[in-house]
Amino acid sequence: MMTDTPRAPDAHADFSALALAAMDDVYRFARSLTRDEADAEDVVQEAYLRAFRSWHTFQPGTDVRRWLFTIARNVFLRSKEKARREVTLDEDGAEAVDAAAAVESWVMRGLNPILDRADLGPAIQAALDELPATYRDAVVLVDLEDQAYEDAAAVLGIPIGTVRSRLFRGRKLLQEKLATFAEDAGFAATAGKGESGGKDDE
Amino acid sequence: MSDDARLGGEPMIDCRGAMERLFDLLDGELTPEREMKVRAHISGCPGCFTYADFEERFLKALRTARVKGDCPRALRERVMQTLRADGWQG
Repeated sequence: MMTDTPRAPDAHADFSALALAAMDDVYRFARSLTRDEADAEDVVQEAYLRAFRSWHTFQPGTDVRRWLFTIARNVFLRSKEKARREVTLDEDGAEAVDAAAAVESWVMRGLNPILDRADLGPAIQAALDELPATYRDAVVLVDLEDQAYEDAAAVLGIPIGTVRSRLFRGRKLLQEKLATFAEDAGFAATAGKGESGGKDDE
Repeated sequence: MSDDARLGGEPMIDCRGAMERLFDLLDGELTPEREMKVRAHISGCPGCFTYADFEERFLKALRTARVKGDCPRALRERVMQTLRADGWQG
């Protein structure tokens, strides 16, 4: 059922049932974008106002979270005046493959002993916070918010190929940061002595 | 075009082709046909299998880092108030 305007009674009910029901997701995404609780709240509030005013442009049957994420990100970009600085990198798959071939063994050696730890969340979150926004946004959308490449591309306003490249680079940067963390915490050193690391995980 | 040329036209793919599509595979972004080809290579290549296993475990760990916590009740109320002031009749 198509909603013509947010003023129509059905539109209000649809907005409540779809858009408002996704507020937890929008809030979480805003926190990932801003890395600041107060800023995230501003983004959510402004995003919902804009979403309500443009609810008639939402296509029923499409993913409301993708639509709201796009609005939230636009609000965030405008608030930080980052839109003009947004760079479309010249990335392609071949570059990603070359980088894959160059993966340092120390990253795998360092990460292997800790990947299955249940308490790795805070370290990952800290590493995510340190990622450049360009990469973090792609990783957050795909890995944490379960968005498909196509949906992430729509939210970020970039081609799918660029999403793939940013994901790849973002994940590799995260791995390097986590491997450093593992090394600093002593896990990698243990693995490097030829032990499996399994017994040290517990 | 490039995808089909790289993967679709060859009966088998090599390590480079498999690793190029590894994240696509783990993210569920491949067509069934391509997924089958990449999986076939990985399962028969110890080096790629080790790397794929590592990446799969990494992504699983990454997904556990999803920010916890729902939208604060006070914020939810503020959003509702803003919307009501703008004409929302919820």
